[in-house]
Amino acid sequence: MSSVNQSQSRGNSSQKKGGRKRNENNVIYANPLPITFSRVENRFTVTALGIFGISPARLLKPQCKGTFDPITRSVWITDPKDRAILWRRGFFGKGNLSRSEPSWLVRQTNIRTAVGRQTTSEEVTAKRRAERKQFKLDRARGIAAAAAEAESAFAEGRIISAEETKALIPSAATWKPSPSTQNVTLSFLEQYQGAADLDAEPLEDMEHMQLTFSEAFFLTWALDCLSIRRPNALEPMTLPEIWIAFQTTHLPPHLQAYSSQESILRPDNPFLLNYFFFHHYRSLGWVVKNGFAVVLIPVYEDARDAESSPFSLSNSEPFTWQWLSTINRVNSQVQKTLVLSYVTIPALSRVSLTELTSPACFERYSIREIIIRRFVPARMRD
Amino acid sequence: RGFPKYATLSISIKRYPRAASAIFQTYNDLLLAQQWSEIEIVDLPTCGRCGFRGRRPENPNTRTCVVPCSLAETISMTWLKSAFGEFEQPEEVFLAINAEDSSIVYYKLSTGITKPPV
Repeated sequence: MSSVNQSQSRGNSSQKKGGRKRNENNVIYANPLPITFSRVENRFTVTALGIFGISPARLLKPQCKGTFDPITRSVWITDPKDRAILWRRGFFGKGNLSRSEPSWLVRQTNIRTAVGRQTTSEEVTAKRRAERKQFKLDRARGIAAAAAEAESAFAEGRIISAEETKALIPSAATWKPSPSTQNVTLSFLEQYQGAADLDAEPLEDMEHMQLTFSEAFFLTWALDCLSIRRPNALEPMTLPEIWIAFQTTHLPPHLQAYSSQESILRPDNPFLLNYFFFHHYRSLGWVVKNGFAVVLIPVYEDARDAESSPFSLSNSEPFTWQWLSTINRVNSQVQKTLVLSYVTIPALSRVSLTELTSPACFERYSIREIIIRRFVPARMRD
Repeated sequence: RGFPKYATLSISIKRYPRAASAIFQTYNDLLLAQQWSEIEIVDLPTCGRCGFRGRRPENPNTRTCVVPCSLAETISMTWLKSAFGEFEQPEEVFLAINAEDSSIVYYKLSTGITKPPV
């Protein structure tokens, strides 16, 4: 009886822990976009105005600041408050020294201080990899032991059953990290600490958050909560300047000198395609990131445009079966569904230059989606 | 603490504009995230870029070589062989594959067929 009660209470406390973490996340990541609405306290006003279809709540737009970097084709966000707002409300951007959320400073601080560690996703991955490496070592040792055993048995004329052989080799499902593994990872960290202790100056955050052009343009044009400036400029760039600058960085170096000529603007500029794609899926509520299982396939309306294009767009040629099978298999292994997104590029002849100078040209583009799943006969029931 | 290196790096960036993004991002990653020390910039003219050679914290007794490239590029075996040549035939070279959002994946390339350690 008492043991049953114990396991129940243990179960409850772990449920509470998991529940609390989830609730915390629901609070931190509550807003899907950086813009929020102000709270209105007076319920009478809300109801009264509501009859006329008006809401007294104000739209609150955070004013974040970014710096344009043509070399990495991105917009850098350095202010920590802006970084937090953009990451937590919509997962915009990526830390340039981290796998996703900017966590470089936290990791460096963790290396220097063993107490009060905040675990980051990179550290969890590192621990998992160290354990996997240890498992592989144990398994190799097990295989060697089994082979030696088999050799000696053969020499003696004994027979060893398959079960006995298997018992010597650890399997991934039942292997547990031994205390020696944890010591290995700890000693590695201590090595780091030893070196870092000599360098006792306060840490300056060397990391910035990087937004792709699509994310930056979405925040600036669609949501109006970001202003972008060139590295040493005081004034933010205007929308037309941003529109042209983003497209110019995609031009090969020898054409960039002519960037002031509007004849350089073309409907197949990678920025236009990427942005159209990004805006479409963001509007559907998806968070678009690199490594997304939706593949952008550009389709030229007029084949002559492809020949005169200074850009070599990837996936614009008809793809091979090998390519499709590879992409499909890789995505299935990571449990993502493959979606092919065909974006049609309007012909140069159909789109006027005036349209190309503003986002109005997006009316001319269209998108079609095709979902591809692997059919594995062994796993299908019918 | 490595800032003087940015001056030398900017020379390479200007010389190889097409690979500039990969060069810059890889250098930053090696210096600040991977915590390499004694990073030297190695010119790889046949590959149209510069590479790096330095000491990894896990392996401080050898100098490890890295050649940056971007995900969108297609590279040939000849290109890789010339990279090995310009690094003066090390046993292995790491290929730093840069994505547009600054994610970097390192692939280890060895000369000939090499069995994995485990």
